[in-house]
Amino acid sequence: MQKIGGNMSEVFSKLNDLKNVFKFGEKIVPIIQSLIEFMKEIVPLIESINALITESTAQMPKASNQISNVTSQTEMATTEILDMVDKITNQLSEMDAVISDYDAKQSRSNEIKAIVLKKYGNDTELMSLLKEYIELNNYQTAFEKFREILVQANNDLFQITLSLQVQDITSQQLAAVNHLIDSVNLKLTSLIKEIDQSDIREDIKVIGIEAPMGANFDPNARYDKSESRQQNVDKIVNQTKQQTSQEEIDKLFS
Amino acid sequence: MDLKFLVVDDSVTMRRIVINSLKNLGYQNYVEAADGSEALSKLQADDSINFVITDWNMPVMSGLELTKAIRSDGVLNKIPILMVTTRGVKEDIVEALQARVNNYVIKPFTPQILKEKIETILANN
Repeated sequence: MQKIGGNMSEVFSKLNDLKNVFKFGEKIVPIIQSLIEFMKEIVPLIESINALITESTAQMPKASNQISNVTSQTEMATTEILDMVDKITNQLSEMDAVISDYDAKQSRSNEIKAIVLKKYGNDTELMSLLKEYIELNNYQTAFEKFREILVQANNDLFQITLSLQVQDITSQQLAAVNHLIDSVNLKLTSLIKEIDQSDIREDIKVIGIEAPMGANFDPNARYDKSESRQQNVDKIVNQTKQQTSQEEIDKLFS
Repeated sequence: MDLKFLVVDDSVTMRRIVINSLKNLGYQNYVEAADGSEALSKLQADDSINFVITDWNMPVMSGLELTKAIRSDGVLNKIPILMVTTRGVKEDIVEALQARVNNYVIKPFTPQILKEKIETILANN
């Protein structure tokens, strides 16, 4: 009897445990239901994000390619501008040569004038006509003005040439952006592969523009015409050179 | 001394701008190369080249590598080198000087700066 009593007691204890499990189940079931509802909502969202990342990743090579096209097109356009500038510079040189030719002829004209004056200086009518003729054919002042304009135009053209340095600098900036796109593309591609099995946050890292070894661009290139940049370079050059020569002197005496 | 420049830059635009500036300064004798490797070949083939103006960032062989190659060459090591580059941070300038460039010009440059640096280099050589 005692053994039966003990067993019953154990059965009741188990039933009690079961009752507790049911009670706990009653509490947990709504949570699990909410979790299932949440999963139902989140799974399409994750799929949507995944699809978006896949789509963006697929677009990246195209964006990168377009940037490369921009670089080559601006280089072509810059070359055309430089060709045009060279052509105009040559034309200005030809104009300058024409003026120089006139200057040379003018000195011969002055010689002839002097001879005529010497021979026919007493003929006042002839002298009056000669003076009028010379005044009508004297382009000296006009050509001097032309020459001033030519010099100015040449300087302005050269300034255009110098300003085209911007093309080299922007092409380096675009190369840096391209490198960034390629890096993001690489990260996203690996993220897509691992998205089902890894913690997404661990895979997303901040990607800075760092030039890889041997890169043929400067990620920090900028079109800054301020004199202070070269002055800063000169300062460092002088400091470093002084330091080096001092080190060399020290070596000699050590 | 008759100067013959070797202008090294991967950008066609920049080569033309440097050459136009040299012409404007009265220097008519020059050859050009698109990277350090091509520059080195031209230097080895033409002993009349006596001044190098080089960019830093270039494919195949950079300006810094070119400088090191020139300085370690028994024949070419005395040729003056002027670095013309966009790289303006102190570490880069010091690295270039340690590789023994003679002077350093930051892009965008002016012909006056180019003239000043060329003349300073020539005066010191």
